[in-house]
Amino acid sequence: MSVETTAPVTEGQVTQDQITGEAVLAEISGMLRVLLDEYGLDDVEITMATKFHEDLELESIDLVSLSADLKERYGNQVNFAEFIAGFDLEEIIAMTVGQLVDHVVVSLREAARG
Amino acid sequence: MTKILAGDLDTHVQRLPPTIPVDGEAPVVVFIHGLLTDSLASYYFTLGPAFAAAGVDVVMYDLRGHGKSGRPATGYQLERFVSDLVSLLDAMDITRPVHLVGNSFGGSIAFGLAAAHPERVATVIAIEAEPPVQAWTVRMAEGLDLAKSQLTQDAVIDWIAVNNGKHTARLSRAAGRLLQVTSMLEDIPVSDTIADDLSAIRCPVLAIFGADSGLSRQVPYFESYLASCRTVVLPDQGHSVLIERTDETRDAILGWVRDHALGRVG
Repeated sequence: MSVETTAPVTEGQVTQDQITGEAVLAEISGMLRVLLDEYGLDDVEITMATKFHEDLELESIDLVSLSADLKERYGNQVNFAEFIAGFDLEEIIAMTVGQLVDHVVVSLREAARG
Repeated sequence: MTKILAGDLDTHVQRLPPTIPVDGEAPVVVFIHGLLTDSLASYYFTLGPAFAAAGVDVVMYDLRGHGKSGRPATGYQLERFVSDLVSLLDAMDITRPVHLVGNSFGGSIAFGLAAAHPERVATVIAIEAEPPVQAWTVRMAEGLDLAKSQLTQDAVIDWIAVNNGKHTARLSRAAGRLLQVTSMLEDIPVSDTIADDLSAIRCPVLAIFGADSGLSRQVPYFESYLASCRTVVLPDQGHSVLIERTDETRDAILGWVRDHALGRVG
């Protein structure tokens, strides 16, 4: 099966195979680029290893915005608040994009499984 | 991101409705963050989700000049922060009395609102905070002067980076900038104050302190003068109660809101 990685991963009938790390990374990168654009940073490479604070210079308040974006995009299928409840502030600051992508993938697959 | 025009201020708000069924109306708890390096993120990543999960209607917002709310050049007297909050509650159609959780300077705003508009406030929960009495304005003037002189020096920011980490250093630099581009330093010390006898505060108050913070010295003062007050002092703890003692703070406030709510809180 071919997987269209740029298409929204939750649109229409989604099978578990379509929910890939690449697709979710592409979506989350898009959200981050909008955030970074506010700071005039529009040319940053975003990978699974990118750190929110260290590499993107995002503050905790930016992660609040990202969380709102995730909720808008994925609805109740992804619960960012619950995900971060187990982290302290230092850990949230040290988080990588990959950790978030993995969480979203697992959550969407669980939702697709019903 | 949710922005609400409250009065003339573009205000960043995060509201978390209760995630469990509640008998009657859910209590509304408004969380007010502290000055300079703070934002609603301090609540979003600590108390906010836990309160929504316990049946509370959670309102968190960024103060003027902070986080992702508007940053006017002037207008930083305490009463401006108080009227911003009234405008926000109006804009959100929240008319019943709310519980105000205020951390540090946020607690001073909570006391200010309780004094100015007692009909809007059910209780005040003050974390490491002072009521806006005359002596408070003097301490704020000293603290802000020191912050501006220190946080605008590269050497100081470098020292903070080594000793407290890059994140704190970056926030500190942003705080220095905030003091440079706004009249906060001039405005806060000339804020409206309330009388030293605290008679303006008539609602119940829960005050939480770290034992090692200078602010815990206020315990006898609060207990003598406030009409209805419970104090909690956490041993071996300085000013960062919310971040370093999140669980105890959450439990103390949830218990308090339960005791003072008409609706059942889980």
